[in-house]
Amino acid sequence: MKKRVAGLAARFIFLLASTVLLSACVTREPFIPAHLPAGAQSSVELAATPFFPQDKYQCGPAALATVLVASNAETTPEALVPVVYLPARKGSLQVEMRAAPRQFGRLSYPLSRHLESVIEELAAGRPVLVLHNYGLSFWPKWHYAVVIGYDAASDKFIMRSGKKRRTEWRARTFMVAWHNGGRWAMVVLRPGEIPVSADPTLYLEAAADFERGASPADSRLAFDAAVQRWPGQSVAWIGRGTAEYRAGNISDAARDYATALRIDPGNVGARNNLAQSLLDLGCPTRALEQLRAVNTDALASPLKEAVLDTRKHIELAKPSTLVGEPSRCTSQY
Amino acid sequence: MKHSPWRKFAVGILSIAIFNTGMVGTASAAIADTASLVTIDRAADMTVVRTHLDRADVRAKMEEMGIEATAVDRRLANLNDRELHQLAADMQNAPAGGDAVWIVGAVFIVLIILELTGVIDIFKKT
Repeated sequence: MKKRVAGLAARFIFLLASTVLLSACVTREPFIPAHLPAGAQSSVELAATPFFPQDKYQCGPAALATVLVASNAETTPEALVPVVYLPARKGSLQVEMRAAPRQFGRLSYPLSRHLESVIEELAAGRPVLVLHNYGLSFWPKWHYAVVIGYDAASDKFIMRSGKKRRTEWRARTFMVAWHNGGRWAMVVLRPGEIPVSADPTLYLEAAADFERGASPADSRLAFDAAVQRWPGQSVAWIGRGTAEYRAGNISDAARDYATALRIDPGNVGARNNLAQSLLDLGCPTRALEQLRAVNTDALASPLKEAVLDTRKHIELAKPSTLVGEPSRCTSQY
Repeated sequence: MKHSPWRKFAVGILSIAIFNTGMVGTASAAIADTASLVTIDRAADMTVVRTHLDRADVRAKMEEMGIEATAVDRRLANLNDRELHQLAADMQNAPAGGDAVWIVGAVFIVLIILELTGVIDIFKKT
């Protein structure tokens, strides 16, 4: 047994020694130049990013406060401890890190696993929250840090991390920790901002999650940006329509829902919302027309109830003939 | 088997429950939340369907994990059902970013040396 341990130790020392020797002759490609997107500056440092030195185990609240305050939200790590810190785990979970910015009128967006998207966000002026793993896959040591810059020439990333206000990391070292941490990164967005590399589905999912607690005005900003960027996405129009509806701009809402339906005629959610808007506009017959062909039996439960509910409201308004409806009801939507 | 319902319930959920309240709390209530209309592809390969999620389960678990009762309520209120499921799944074992202190510094340094010198290449497949 002793022999085996000694043998292992010897092998380990040999391996270590040989790698140190090898390091003299092996050069590896620099990382950042190879992943620098077209148009990105070769060097960026978001020096105005605030710094909050972390307390023990509490890099989650500290890193989150860093990106939130950088986006002009008002908070502190202390205020975020009850929001994201999980005592029994001595840390913070990704799902709560993602959800927390909503409480401050901000969206969170999960970046892709490609280093390019991290660099692109930095180049666009947004610090990036990353998850690092300084351990091994079976013995992980997780840590959140905020990347605030990079330098292609020296192949280094600049971070706010732990108790260090400014720490430079060789890109390869950074990549080992990021890669072992599952290449997880997020940015915090003000309503109306969309990441450079954003995927429409992921962004719209983030915006839809944001909608629930947001003011109609903020929600409108978030979806309006999506309508501009991806006019072919029906959900973007639906989201903007709902923001308009909640703000009381019913005819604007109806227009957006109608646009969503032109893109995706089978979207029952959009149809339901359009019908409700038409009803509110005093056009019960047109509203009913929207839902007449919808087979509620084929719908999943929650949407089904919404449609049945809308129908019930329409019936109460006693739809009669199209001719009897106000002129504003005709063919506008 | 005692623990497996927790795991199961955590692992797969087709987010029908994402519909949440189903309605925006405005005067006229039949507008469907946009969240209920976003297609979430990753829900597709989930197998366990639970239409109703008992938030009380998660609440109890969080208190057990050291969060004050008043804080738990506020925390859960901020999560939609999809996130709640995720939280339930993550609480025990998912990454929880914590300490910056390099308790395992030696391991990491060895890893870095191996990587830098080309003995291993963890990025090979990406």
